[in-house]
Amino acid sequence: MIQDKANTPAAARFGWSDLFEAWGGLAALIGLAAFCALFPATREHFLNPENIRNIIHQNAFIGIIAVGMTFVIISGGIDLSVGSMAALIGGLSILAMNQVIGLTESPVGVYPPIKYLIGANVSEGLGVVCACAVAPPIGVALGLLNGVLITKGRIAPFIVTLGGFAGYRSIILAIADGGEVRSGSFSLFEAVSSPRHGIPLPAFEFGERTLELYITWPIIVFLLIAIVGQVALSHTRFGRYVIAVGSNETAARYSAINIDRVRMVAYALIGLCTGVAAVLLASRLNSVGASNTGNLFELDAIAAVVIGGTRMSGGRGRIWGTVCGVLILGIIDNMLLLAEVSAYWQGLVKAGVILLAVLLQRSRPA
Amino acid sequence: MREPILTIADLTRDYPAVRAVDRLSLTINRGEVHGIIGENGAGKSTLMKMLSGLERPTAGSITFAGQPLHLRSASDAMRVGIAMIHQELNLIGELSVADNIFLGRERTTLGLVDRGAAETAALKLLNQLGSNISPRTRVSRLSIADQQLVEIAKALSCEARLLIMDEPTAVLSERETLALFRVMNQLRLQGVTIIYVSHLLPEVRRLCDRITVLRDGRFVKTVEPREASESDLAQLMVGRDLGDLYPARSPHGAEKVLEARNVFVDGFVRGAGLDLHRGEIVGLAGLVGSGRTEFAEAIAGLRRRRGGSVSVKGAPVRLRRPIDAVRCGIAYLSEDRKTRGLHLDLNVVENTTLANLRAYGRYLLDRGALRRSAQSHAQRLGTRCGRLSQRVSSLSGGNQQKVALAKWLDTRPEVLLLDEPTRGVDIGAKQEIYQLIHNLAAEGRAILMISSEMPELIGLCHRILVMRQGRIVGALAGERATEGDIMHLAAGVREARVA
Repeated sequence: MIQDKANTPAAARFGWSDLFEAWGGLAALIGLAAFCALFPATREHFLNPENIRNIIHQNAFIGIIAVGMTFVIISGGIDLSVGSMAALIGGLSILAMNQVIGLTESPVGVYPPIKYLIGANVSEGLGVVCACAVAPPIGVALGLLNGVLITKGRIAPFIVTLGGFAGYRSIILAIADGGEVRSGSFSLFEAVSSPRHGIPLPAFEFGERTLELYITWPIIVFLLIAIVGQVALSHTRFGRYVIAVGSNETAARYSAINIDRVRMVAYALIGLCTGVAAVLLASRLNSVGASNTGNLFELDAIAAVVIGGTRMSGGRGRIWGTVCGVLILGIIDNMLLLAEVSAYWQGLVKAGVILLAVLLQRSRPA
Repeated sequence: MREPILTIADLTRDYPAVRAVDRLSLTINRGEVHGIIGENGAGKSTLMKMLSGLERPTAGSITFAGQPLHLRSASDAMRVGIAMIHQELNLIGELSVADNIFLGRERTTLGLVDRGAAETAALKLLNQLGSNISPRTRVSRLSIADQQLVEIAKALSCEARLLIMDEPTAVLSERETLALFRVMNQLRLQGVTIIYVSHLLPEVRRLCDRITVLRDGRFVKTVEPREASESDLAQLMVGRDLGDLYPARSPHGAEKVLEARNVFVDGFVRGAGLDLHRGEIVGLAGLVGSGRTEFAEAIAGLRRRRGGSVSVKGAPVRLRRPIDAVRCGIAYLSEDRKTRGLHLDLNVVENTTLANLRAYGRYLLDRGALRRSAQSHAQRLGTRCGRLSQRVSSLSGGNQQKVALAKWLDTRPEVLLLDEPTRGVDIGAKQEIYQLIHNLAAEGRAILMISSEMPELIGLCHRILVMRQGRIVGALAGERATEGDIMHLAAGVREARVA
């Protein structure tokens, strides 16, 4: 009977493609890591805990943004403005910090020389706290701006965020006069993203050396945001609404979901993530280069999301997949570096991995 | 007797849930205008799709101009001389009239499109149809009637010998309709055969040489207009007895749960109103395009209301968003299950609970509770699904409809607006849905049931309202109404006889 054939449950037709669709990201990550651990050119250094820690640390910045990107893409949107936004917010947070340090240092003028009352370290500390405090709200505001233009202005997400991509970059270039925004902090700000700060692991022997590793703040923030993100996606009303809107906007509207609000919150969320990543990024180099900070972050973040098995047209996705995607991209860079392959080849290898990951995880046509 | 151009023998088309066309045999003569009428779901569209190459028959044969016909695509059909004018026109708005007429068959000179030749040829075709549209006009600037003419010109340009028109007048004004009929008469004189699908009985009788009635995918009768009155045709379209398909009516309460007055929706509803009482099932009949869906959607907060008022249990309510209606206890089940009613690639649990997620936890959703809730709804409605984590796209039409219903029952509504609740559902599931509607009413809910299937309205409803052109044109008592009464009101044959 025709009817029965059409109604066979999917489970009855189990195949490799189902398995890959569900676990492809993780499988690729494990496969790639195993390859690096065995391949002669990379074997020696790859498995060094410090190397692995560094991979995660260096990619945490993109990773934080990619978590936000996962929500936006699942909701059926895209955000191309995150790289420029990160540069702008990083620059603004440094300016805010310098303002605080400058004010407290000013020996004359309206403000009392607080520095001499509270000590130089304290004034620098206040500045760093200020930088960390202003970045996330600026991110939320910029994200909301994108969201409002997309939902109320009815402009395609691609166009709106392409505007942000050009616009935010232009603002920070103007502010920095094409150069960089330098931090006025001597050492405290750098400590936020330094590999030598964070939560210390107990010292242990590796080979002939004793390693004293820190789980750095960017790693901790990345993991926290990823966990919160996964919980928000699969265990909250908002997460369900994001999936519903991305899967079928009309049906979501007919289910009495306020689709504009859902989409706006998704953009505010990626703004928040970008703000957090921006201040970490600024502290990493203790400055923001107006023309290069955050360059191509949007593409790396999108690549990580796609490698993680999130559907580009929305409606389906997972945060842990994105985390795998971020790590896969990081391992590729690391692998090529260790194998002493020219950095120019990185793009091609990445391209191959992205296509392969999507090929393996594509769902069968319904 | 004239020579036949198209002979259909024992044609059958099965879909997963239904047999849309059932051993249909039919002969169409060269140069006639042949009307095909039937209720929604009688198999008209499926038949037309098979004739124009969009669907393939499951069994049976079609002979066209003496040759057996095996169409694989619409372009196959065009090659043998069969063209279909769809209700939604297939033109590209940004291209000119001439470009559209010769789309895919551009005349070229040295590899370049020869605009001049195309425009001359287009002009000739349009003149032949008595139209003075310029071939250079952009199609998006034309009226719907003129666009239809362009479609017809396009069909003639590939020398169509059989033209299939699917409810062409549904979108036309009176004057445009008359103009179209003139064109069709002219085509008939030129030897073109026309199959004319419609459910507007007066114009079918006026225009067609012969009329074939379909019902439930089967051939009922072919008649000539002078042999059958409109009432006879209506009788042929609906005549059947499904008496015990419906549960017995139980008496309803006196309390007015929903009151809508003078509702206006731009372009669709012009001052419609209704009352629903506790425990009452009210039917809303009307042809496609009568504004019944838009009326219900306005009450559900899905469409902007231009005027009028809605009260729930005597208190006026503002319905600006869908969520406002849900909070007032109003639930609307869409007629379009696949794109509006359900998220096909989400699973049974996700769909069932989507409209009422607030009830499952302040911050974090209680996934166990979501599951239990979906389970209990599935049990009550008799939804047959292997696992609750199954995507609803893999369920049959009837089971999908039960999930869509469960989504709204989960919001604990007092008023249910059900738009075509049994569309695309097999007869067994239909009967279960009727029983469910009956039970929901018996529990004290007020129900508005919109349907194109008159027997189910007559079998189930306490009252039946008929809508035409955005207005309620009549109310009939459920147990006394006949399909003829409804059809007359809906098609505007006779003035309202208020019960």
